[in-house]
Amino acid sequence: MEHIGVRETVKFLGLTFNWETLCMTWLAMAIVIIISCLAVRSLKVIPSGWQNFIEIVVVWLQGQIDNMMGKRGKMFEPFIVSLFLFLLTSNLLGLIPFLESPTNDLNTTLGLALLVVAMVHIFGLYFKRGHYIAHFFQPFAPFVIINMIEEIAKPITLAFRLFGNILAGEILIIVLLHLIPIWMPIPSVVWLAFSIFISCVHAVIFTMLSMAYLGNAVRE
Amino acid sequence: MIEINATMIAQVLNFLILAAILRALAYQPVARLLKQRSDKIRDTIDKAEADKRAAEETLAQYKSQLADAQRRAQEIVDKAEITARQEREVLVAETKKEIDRMKQNAQLEIQNERNRAFEQMQKEIVSLSLAAAEKVVAKNLSSKENDKLVNDFIAGLNKNMFSDIK
Repeated sequence: MEHIGVRETVKFLGLTFNWETLCMTWLAMAIVIIISCLAVRSLKVIPSGWQNFIEIVVVWLQGQIDNMMGKRGKMFEPFIVSLFLFLLTSNLLGLIPFLESPTNDLNTTLGLALLVVAMVHIFGLYFKRGHYIAHFFQPFAPFVIINMIEEIAKPITLAFRLFGNILAGEILIIVLLHLIPIWMPIPSVVWLAFSIFISCVHAVIFTMLSMAYLGNAVRE
Repeated sequence: MIEINATMIAQVLNFLILAAILRALAYQPVARLLKQRSDKIRDTIDKAEADKRAAEETLAQYKSQLADAQRRAQEIVDKAEITARQEREVLVAETKKEIDRMKQNAQLEIQNERNRAFEQMQKEIVSLSLAAAEKVVAKNLSSKENDKLVNDFIAGLNKNMFSDIK
């Protein structure tokens, strides 16, 4: 029980890194890249195997991006697709014994959330310039406070929602295995199944919210 | 448990690297393929529609040609019928004329034959009558009385015996 949440750290150039998180991130990246390689190894007009999976993801996200972000969303498609595939793989990785999700570390989720929010502001300013700054003062100037709180809340909610759900799922698996004798595996199996669902749902939620934030900033 | 350190920056970099790799490795080929496929489907549908239009046009053309051909065939048949009728009428008229002509000829010939027969008979009757008269009289009469006898005889014949021939 004590080991939950305790991070194994390494020091490098005077900076502290959570070693396990990094390893798991690289593993997740490797899995995503391998799946992509398998999918695009022999691209055919009539799809088969992993190509189906990648195509489903790409087509579905393209549809969502078209709806939420308009014409300019096209340039964000690779980013959004990568984000979804990485989060899905990361979330599911923690359900495999002896592995953990990179997303059960706040550093990962907050990093991604801040990246998304930074992109929102950068591309918002790039595409809309003065209008983008002006929209913080809508409907009238004092609202800038509320709007600022909202802007700050965006990355925090995005990061903590994912982090909390994934970490909670993993903790509960361990807790259930400790609480209930080994010959009664049904609760942990049920929870495992639910965790698979949660993993998928939170990958979708994070991706969708990123899309929505980016869409607000870049849509004509 | 909640401890933010340099891992965050590393994770952002990791993700950016992953996004760059995926963009080059998977996204672009897949997006290209998807575009290719949608183009192909659109082309195929367009082509199918064009083909259908062309087929309909050809069918309409064939139908009109067929109708034209039928109309012309009917015209030819009608014309042929008319020609045949006309020819038949001409033939019939000619035949009638021919028959008439033949009838006239026949009547003429019959008339001629009868006249000739009548003349011949007249001659024979004269000689027969003479012979008979010579035998009956059996004595010499004056040629004047002789002629008178013969003429009377002939006149009698004409009146009584051959009245129905002419």
